[in-house]
Amino acid sequence: MVDAARHPRIDVRTFTEVEKVEGFVGNFKVTLREKAKYVIADRCNGCGDCARVCPIEVPNYFDMNLAPRKAAYVPMSQSVPLVYNIDLDACIHCYKCVDACGALEAIDFSQEDKLVEEDIGAMIVATGFSHFDPSVMEEYGYSRYPNVITSMEMERLNNSAGPTAGNLIRPSDNKNPQKLAFINCVGSRDKRYNPSCSNFCCMYSIKNAILLKQMNPNVDITIYYIDIRTPSKGYEEFYDRAREMGIHFSQGRPSLITEDPETHNLFVHSEDVTLGKVMEKEYDMVMLNQAAVPQPDQNHMSSVLNVAQSPGGWFMEYHPKLRPIDSPTDGVFFAGACQGPKDIPSSVAQGSAASSRASRILQSDHWEIEPTVAVVFPERCSATTRGRACGICAKACPYGAINIFSPEIPAEVVTAKCHGCGACVAECPEDAITQLHFTDAQILAQMRAVLADKPEEKILAFRCHWCSYGGADLAGTSHFEYTANERGLRVMCSARMDTDFIYEAYRLGAGAVLYSGCHPQDCHYITGQLIGAKRASRLEKIFERMKMTDGRFRVEWISAAEGDKYARVLNEMQAVLDDIPMDDLKAEIEQLKPEMSKRLKKFPGVPGVQEAMDYSDILVDAITKQKEAA
Amino acid sequence: MSQQQPENNNEELRVGVYVCHCGTNIAGVIDPKEVVEFAKGLPDVVHATDTLYACADSGQKQIKEDIKKHKLNRVIVSACSVRMHEATFRGAVSEAGINPFLMEMANIREQCTWAHGHDREGALEKAKDLTASAVAKSRFLTSLDMIEVPVTQKAMVIGAGVAGISAALDLADQGIQTILVEKEPTIGGVMAQLNKTFPTMDCSI
Repeated sequence: MVDAARHPRIDVRTFTEVEKVEGFVGNFKVTLREKAKYVIADRCNGCGDCARVCPIEVPNYFDMNLAPRKAAYVPMSQSVPLVYNIDLDACIHCYKCVDACGALEAIDFSQEDKLVEEDIGAMIVATGFSHFDPSVMEEYGYSRYPNVITSMEMERLNNSAGPTAGNLIRPSDNKNPQKLAFINCVGSRDKRYNPSCSNFCCMYSIKNAILLKQMNPNVDITIYYIDIRTPSKGYEEFYDRAREMGIHFSQGRPSLITEDPETHNLFVHSEDVTLGKVMEKEYDMVMLNQAAVPQPDQNHMSSVLNVAQSPGGWFMEYHPKLRPIDSPTDGVFFAGACQGPKDIPSSVAQGSAASSRASRILQSDHWEIEPTVAVVFPERCSATTRGRACGICAKACPYGAINIFSPEIPAEVVTAKCHGCGACVAECPEDAITQLHFTDAQILAQMRAVLADKPEEKILAFRCHWCSYGGADLAGTSHFEYTANERGLRVMCSARMDTDFIYEAYRLGAGAVLYSGCHPQDCHYITGQLIGAKRASRLEKIFERMKMTDGRFRVEWISAAEGDKYARVLNEMQAVLDDIPMDDLKAEIEQLKPEMSKRLKKFPGVPGVQEAMDYSDILVDAITKQKEAA
Repeated sequence: MSQQQPENNNEELRVGVYVCHCGTNIAGVIDPKEVVEFAKGLPDVVHATDTLYACADSGQKQIKEDIKKHKLNRVIVSACSVRMHEATFRGAVSEAGINPFLMEMANIREQCTWAHGHDREGALEKAKDLTASAVAKSRFLTSLDMIEVPVTQKAMVIGAGVAGISAALDLADQGIQTILVEKEPTIGGVMAQLNKTFPTMDCSI
């Protein structure tokens, strides 16, 4: 901690939160909110005179609210930096602190929160984890029985810098407990709360048990566990040491804790599954090893930082095996438990790894990004054809990357600002913009290829690159089986999924079409998904009016973590097709083709599209011939 | 960056198709050779072959040699996800003098054989279609150059627990100016609240 604070190249900003992140790799602009401390950091010498005279006491979060702090406070005596804060919510404005501070004049009640902008090239997110609140588990009586505490509370009671100076006492009578129990997996590996393992609690309870045993070899300690997990170096040996010291281990999650109201002693009811015996044992004190859970503001941070979350709420890495440190946003990396529960050695290792990933970018004065950007055909822009730029593209762009200088001059894409979502391309009513590497001609040619043979049996699935394509990958990686009639097509964002593509798919005779992208809060392109979603619901209404069979057009938001959902959606779509007699389906397809053609009148005029159609005729012939030959 | 062009169809197309076995990951469900035979009949395809591991050195070498030998100007790799190996094959073709954006992948592993093990015939049909789809797209691919953006050589670490402190120290030791942001009044996070930590049983601060 001290090393970080005194490093000449580290600028520590405590009591500061991230308000807004804009920009892209190499060029982020971060707005920080420096919360008012009501103390001038440069003047405070950390003497603590203000706290000594302060008459107000409130619970200290740092001591798990087991001890008070003053309204003028530092969370702990070793705080870094050692600068006092005035908690204005608790303060009664007696100004004794101002008098005590005297000539230093470090206290300033006129301070306000400050918004500060910082330009940075890369960012490491290390926002950590929080603890599960066990009071929702009535069976353990936490917050009802005074001697049932959490392990974090025990940490503070057992800590020489804690409220009891390291003297572990029972909250009910301040006596030193002689018989103690730890219960593992409280709120973790429990389908009611968190199905996943919290990673470090096994070793954590063993550590605490060993520490207590070292201080007083006569204490009797039992650890209740489901499985003891010791997968890292030296962990199994540590577990062995605990058993050699006489710490008891009982396999099986306790079902109930009851209390003797006189003595406040506790009875742990459990079944020891190795002994096959139902037991009820008396303890002076019980410690609950709470699950690690995402931070309470993790959802909010997810949208501020524009990073997605895995099903448990943790931040999601780009690829679980190949890019476990990277977020899906270029230039943003993860370290520590914000990405999933981790112990100290793994968190330190991931911190180092993240710094190395970030320095790849930061050691150079330039970085390369994909050229899949939007390009305007100036001759097609309404500014040229009708003398008035409509501005729809500029309105659609989530990044303000499209300039319309005057109604007579065609729209202009600022390449360095364009992130390549394709929203403007699909929204432009004149088809005057295209996206490099995802042009209409390229996408049309792909559609033609996959719908060449028995299109009525096929489900054409449009997926965004970052989420639903990732979800489809995960379905495969997890071997979640789904119908082989799916034919996937990848674009960068659902905002690129042009209505023309969907009409064309049905005109070509597709059995069903899936329109899928990320969840709104996960969008890689800020508001791209919203544009895609709006268009999709418009299409849903149009197809409803056409009396298309329900389910032949489906809109689903599937994250890269939802492989199971991808498989389920495709199987449900297959079931819809299976339910329609083939002749009826073919009749419906034929009947709707003129409707689709009507809406596609302008499509052949889009640059490259006629050529793609001519080419596709040859391609479809070849595909049919080859399939017949096989 | 000079304005890059979306369409450029003037050259004669020479497409090479590589169908990967990925050991048994793909070949355990479908016969890659059947996809090869299918691809041979597609327009502009002048060379098609199967390969045991396209991503291995030998697989990449084969692609690079074929580019020269068959004068290929488009390369299709029917193998795994673009999230897995797009960068690998872009690198391989550019070493052989082809613009990396003239390489197109068909995902016949994650999104085909791994998801349709129960339906081998369906998987084979799909692998053919996805390969044809990549060939079709390649007809309209154009050479593109990566866009260079400037880099502000400064980092931010959000959260000053044990992971954030470790990241900030390593960045700073590499000479990078680093802002370490913490929402609480002190750095240290949960670690600072702990008594001694395992397995060394030393102080956590």
